[in-house]
Amino acid sequence: MPISKELLEILACPKCKGDLRYVKEDPHGEGLICDNCKLFYPIKEDIPIMLIEEAIKIEKSETI
Amino acid sequence: MRCLVTGVAGFIGSHLAEALLKEGYQVTGIDCFTDYYSKELKKVNLVNLKESKNFKFIKADLLDLDLPLILKQTDWVFHLAAQAGVRASWGREFEIYTQNNVLATQKLLEASKKVKLKGFIYASSSSVYGDTNTLPTPEEVYLQPLSPYGVTKLAGEHLCYLYHKNFGIPTVALRYFTVYGPRQRPDMAFHRFLKAALLEEKIEIYGDGKQTRDFTYISDIIDVHLMVMNHLHPGEVFNIAGGTQTSLKTALALISEITGHKIKIIYKPQQKGDVRHTAADITKAKNILGYEPQVGLSDGLGAEWKWIQTIYKNY
Repeated sequence: MPISKELLEILACPKCKGDLRYVKEDPHGEGLICDNCKLFYPIKEDIPIMLIEEAIKIEKSETI
Repeated sequence: MRCLVTGVAGFIGSHLAEALLKEGYQVTGIDCFTDYYSKELKKVNLVNLKESKNFKFIKADLLDLDLPLILKQTDWVFHLAAQAGVRASWGREFEIYTQNNVLATQKLLEASKKVKLKGFIYASSSSVYGDTNTLPTPEEVYLQPLSPYGVTKLAGEHLCYLYHKNFGIPTVALRYFTVYGPRQRPDMAFHRFLKAALLEEKIEIYGDGKQTRDFTYISDIIDVHLMVMNHLHPGEVFNIAGGTQTSLKTALALISEITGHKIKIIYKPQQKGDVRHTAADITKAKNILGYEPQVGLSDGLGAEWKWIQTIYKNY
């Protein structure tokens, strides 16, 4: 089951507080991407992991 | 109506979120899984909650979240997230306590200015009293915490009051007295004692065992949050306790009786930060909220004993 729209609406990048982009099947799995910080926040078992230390640094090409 | 529960994977937070869901509220839970104790135990605490379609969980640090965004969809805040532990709060560790207990509270209150909350309930602690001579202790005695942890919990209380006075945020602080029951943290006395009884381990007791606590069963603590929602008195502070003062030695004798195991005790010197006695005067909560503790020590320990046996069955 994908993450709810309601939950997505209240989440921002913990680092820059900017918008996040939801991706269902990124190379890293389901998650939220901050294009500004180039960070991928994984969603595991429908739980968004909004911890900067657990975010995955992504390459620029992955964000396009 | 939506409630935000911070520290939702913890002992009290998980029980509270379950109760709120049962009452028909929608619940957003936040927890960063601090490493104070096993993350596995916290995951187990969330199992029932994850089954509800009205529960949303965010694994995050309050200090990093965009709190105004989250509070836009929130009616009630239950701020239970904290760095726990009296004895661990000395020295360099104090910084973690100021971050998680003071700064996180201030950030949440600051964000609350921008929305119209129905209530902001803050989990305070009996540790704000320190070694008071007034027993049972009413809310208005002079507060003199004996541990750095107590200082940070008191600072959080003061922040709640001043944001209420200056910005009209409907804050209420609840001073919990030694809460126990299923899901109790593994560093807390009854959890350690019951585990030791089950596994036939020795336990260490700090002090002579004659120190007393006003033990409070988890369901009494949870009930009072629902009472506060029905009788909101912004700016107020309430003692919430079981209403009976019991020494550790007496509690240990009761544990031996309930479990059928005699626990071997090693007495260690009293630790800095530990208070000698706690006993709450709960007259204010009785009169204003209609609070009356329902679960006695024997029944409460019996329930925790059942839980302890389930979580340590594979040891």
